[in-house]
Amino acid sequence: MSSEGEVIIRAKHLAKSYQLYDNRHQWLKQTLLGSFKTYYKAFWALKDISFEVRRGESLGILGRNGCGKSTLLQILCGITRPTKGDLWVNGRVAPILALGATFDLEATGEENVLIGGAVLGLKREEILSKLSSIADFAGIGDFMDQPIKLYSTGMRMRLAFAICAHVDADILIVDEALSVGDEAFQRKCFDWIDAFRANGTLLFVSHSPTEVIRLCRQAIWIDNGRIREAGRPVDVARSYERATAVEADNMDRFSAT
Amino acid sequence: MLRPPFARLYREYIPRRGYYISGAMDGQGTGSAVESKKAEGYFPPPLNIVDGKPVVEKVGLLAGVLRFLGEPFRSAWHHRDLIVAILRRELRERFKGSAAGWVWAVMAPLLSLITYTVAFGGSAKLPNNSASASPVDYALFIFGGLVAFNFFSEMAYRAPSLLHEYSHYIKQTMFPAEMLAIISTLRATTYAAIALVLMLACQLVLGGALHWTALLIPLWFLVFLMFLVGITWFLSALGAFTRDTSYLMMTIAPLLMFATPVFFSQESLSPTMNKVMYLNILTGFIEIVRDLVVFGQLPGLFVTLWTVFLSLVTFWFGYWFFCNRRDGIADVI
Repeated sequence: MSSEGEVIIRAKHLAKSYQLYDNRHQWLKQTLLGSFKTYYKAFWALKDISFEVRRGESLGILGRNGCGKSTLLQILCGITRPTKGDLWVNGRVAPILALGATFDLEATGEENVLIGGAVLGLKREEILSKLSSIADFAGIGDFMDQPIKLYSTGMRMRLAFAICAHVDADILIVDEALSVGDEAFQRKCFDWIDAFRANGTLLFVSHSPTEVIRLCRQAIWIDNGRIREAGRPVDVARSYERATAVEADNMDRFSAT
Repeated sequence: MLRPPFARLYREYIPRRGYYISGAMDGQGTGSAVESKKAEGYFPPPLNIVDGKPVVEKVGLLAGVLRFLGEPFRSAWHHRDLIVAILRRELRERFKGSAAGWVWAVMAPLLSLITYTVAFGGSAKLPNNSASASPVDYALFIFGGLVAFNFFSEMAYRAPSLLHEYSHYIKQTMFPAEMLAIISTLRATTYAAIALVLMLACQLVLGGALHWTALLIPLWFLVFLMFLVGITWFLSALGAFTRDTSYLMMTIAPLLMFATPVFFSQESLSPTMNKVMYLNILTGFIEIVRDLVVFGQLPGLFVTLWTVFLSLVTFWFGYWFFCNRRDGIADVI
């Protein structure tokens, strides 16, 4: 990675395990007697992930379903804690994770913008002053006053991206959800991301190697909770594509030990 | 050359490249924004985790205790805009889809107040040896108890499922889950406040005057609020891990009503039982609100100190319990 610019994200040997129980009784036993015996199976979603991203860098993350991408993003956002390993994240993170899933279906678009902005750490006046700009960007017109449950998937996604685009984030985390939008909106988003990259840090998660090559200067390929390859997006994407074409879609990785 | 009639229109609707970018980043280009945010102390503290545990600055014992005691207030102040945003939404949502809307929030306590006045107005005597013997006093006496108890029971029913209600936020965003207890208690406060205002209005209209002690009610609310927030932290953290909490509360809360002097005064009990009743913190709250509103006297020193003490202990214990378990919450919910 390039040497200029301060380190924004530093992850060292991150690992995350989830406790899987056969039934609720096992859970109760673990809670009461956990210090004597283990009643759960550990599922290591992440095993060993280390990387570093500097300000202004963009990192693409490639990987198949269940390889641990989402867990990694959740940890980077501070939603869950890693079980082991060190993490340093400096700056405001705007996650476009599972776009629109955080919306409150009963609330109107405007209320959701206010709540969403507040969750991301914006002051109320700031959000109010940006409200019209957000509505413009999303381009959903009068639907801003309607409950989200009346929105189409595409409209939700537009609104979610519009919010994230307005929070002055230092780190933008873009999930594959972008593919929901139509051509014109996708282009608008990518244009915006291009402008954002000038100063911000981008983490781009995708199944599509072409987009990673287009948007990122670095890439990592996560396989089974470990980094399988890191380097230039072109090289990583090539070996990723080659591997997915050859390897069978075996589901061993979903099993707990 | 013949052009299709819509050609000109179509061209106008092609989004201009770069137009939205300048709109979105207007005046706050990321480069300068970073510097100005840093200058304002506006930057979120870096997320720093070493070996799976967040790094906390080491301080001495006393400083550590003080930091812990101040933490809930600091955090609530930091997230004040979020609290307001969600609270507004929750309040608006409560009567959404009903034509009468907020009238219901006033109707329910008003009707029960009228019922108590009619039912108990003439017949019953106040258990307290108070000088006032107005017919509405017994109704107000019971109503005061009910307001306090309902305030508590609303939280007791809701708290265990509170985090499940907001699971989409907790799992997907950096949502400060500990603020939910404060938000939901504030919401309940609105309804309790409506009922209390009605009670005061009723006393003013039927009894002719208000006691000056009614001015102390905000203080009563403040202490009650701290107690309820504490208990909500405790119950919601427990409820996140097991649904049994909510069944437990559904079973206990109605029974608790009989262990609380809602329909009677604990002074009518035997001296021993009278003391035992104070183990239930609600007894103290009910006695104080009755003293302030109905009897117009200052509550006893012992009762006040005991109630405040229990509330503060509940508040910080609840906070400690919640924070201790909050790491696991996003994983299990």
